[in-house]
Amino acid sequence: MMEYEELIINMGPQHPSTHGVLYLELKLDGEVVLDCRPNIGYLHRSIEKIAENRSFVQFMPFTDRLDYLASMNNNLGLCLTVEKLMNIAVSPRAQYLRVIIAELNRIASHLFAVSTFAQDLGAFATPLFYALRDREKIIQIFDHICGQRLTYNYMRVGGVSGDLPAGVDALIKEYIPYQRKMLDEFETLLTGNVIFCARSKNIGVLSKETAIKYGVTGPNLRASGYKWDLRKDEPYLVYDKFDFDIPTGENGDSWDRYIVRIREIRESLKIIEQALGGLPEGDPVAKVNKVFRPNGETYMCTENPRGELGFYIVGDGNIFPYRLKIRAPSFSNLSVLSAMVKGLNISDTVCALGSLDIVMGEIDR
Amino acid sequence: MFKMITYVFSGLLSILKGLGITWNNMFRKAVTLQYPLQKPVMTERFRGLVDLIPEKCIACSQCVKICPTAALDLTSAVNPETKKKSPCTFVFNGELCCFCGLCQEVCPTSAIFLNNIYEAAYYKHEDMLKIDLLKVDKYAHLAPKKACPCSKTSETRK
Repeated sequence: MMEYEELIINMGPQHPSTHGVLYLELKLDGEVVLDCRPNIGYLHRSIEKIAENRSFVQFMPFTDRLDYLASMNNNLGLCLTVEKLMNIAVSPRAQYLRVIIAELNRIASHLFAVSTFAQDLGAFATPLFYALRDREKIIQIFDHICGQRLTYNYMRVGGVSGDLPAGVDALIKEYIPYQRKMLDEFETLLTGNVIFCARSKNIGVLSKETAIKYGVTGPNLRASGYKWDLRKDEPYLVYDKFDFDIPTGENGDSWDRYIVRIREIRESLKIIEQALGGLPEGDPVAKVNKVFRPNGETYMCTENPRGELGFYIVGDGNIFPYRLKIRAPSFSNLSVLSAMVKGLNISDTVCALGSLDIVMGEIDR
Repeated sequence: MFKMITYVFSGLLSILKGLGITWNNMFRKAVTLQYPLQKPVMTERFRGLVDLIPEKCIACSQCVKICPTAALDLTSAVNPETKKKSPCTFVFNGELCCFCGLCQEVCPTSAIFLNNIYEAAYYKHEDMLKIDLLKVDKYAHLAPKKACPCSKTSETRK
């Protein structure tokens, strides 16, 4: 009789494939993962506590640092929550602008997600750099609009901080067909690749029931076959005016999570095209030094690239919120990892983790 | 066995397909900027280091109040003759600044603004903590250096 014992291996927090400072405690039998415990907290900056000492305008730059790959969507989430709490009307142009910019950022985030996933599977550098080349175009558009490349701080309660500068709408119009062409090329590189398929198909299967049980949202939930998108099911802004589909997967494996993201990029391009076509005239700029004294509480969730980003604000009549809770999508998406990876190899654990597309800045807050 | 061979060949085929794309990409225009030699052109709204036009400042300290990271420090005095407020000291802490640009948005006279300097490295930590915004040449050391002495200048031509 052969004797063997379980081995506990620490993966991270400085591991290249853990997407930031995530520390996974893997219990192994040979190379098979018996148990996986994600340990978080290395990037904790107490952003929720900081929010209690800042007004909403001052807190806006901190939301950029939550999910740093989709800062515009985080800005949007906080703005919509405060607007819901204070019953503030937003001009139609600002709403359309917000849709365009949120969708552009969704594309940028998904491009990064699928390319780093490919990088985790060993498609070294080529898909990543192709995706970054296309993402650069979006970043440059944002640079023109708000003056920064990563921490935008663009949305304001009641509107946005500045109208589209001259020439930027032409840049976006130029970008849409370019991205479609480049996405086709990107798909030939990965979607049709036999090795990539073999590495990701039937790996890290997440069933619909498990996903719902753990509160998984976003592309990860849709890949499991559950059609749930807040843009369609609980429409905010002007999303109900646009015609777009919600792509869903079948098996809920890593491959489905990849292909759902690719299809979502195409849908986002569709939304941007429609929104640019129907962009109304008007003044989208909100006054920045307006003081809000919210009284009462509210919860508002928006569809972030990674799932449902919710802000829960309790106000007590002061300019600072009494409590601000952030429901981060990556947090729930990471918690399902231990249920997904049981029985997989270490290399497939990396695949499953990469396909979940987590951002540590949002998990630790 | 047969399955294995077809699997290997289909794998090789998709590698060739991928290589075809990279081959095509080789003849496209380069998108990389050769950074130290080529400098990027900053956009109009670019938010670099905090800068001030001292003559315009009315010391209303709105920027100090809205700064989310308390990077600005302002003391002011009233001129007894003109009864106008003006800043005495205006210190900017470059270490705390998060480049959100809220100060330039609230400024009623557009005195404070974020300039287009993006190479904000300092040799000494202390220099970064207390940048006197009232000084004219506060970012002089960050500005692009003079032309190389070996290159042609008006003096060498004489």
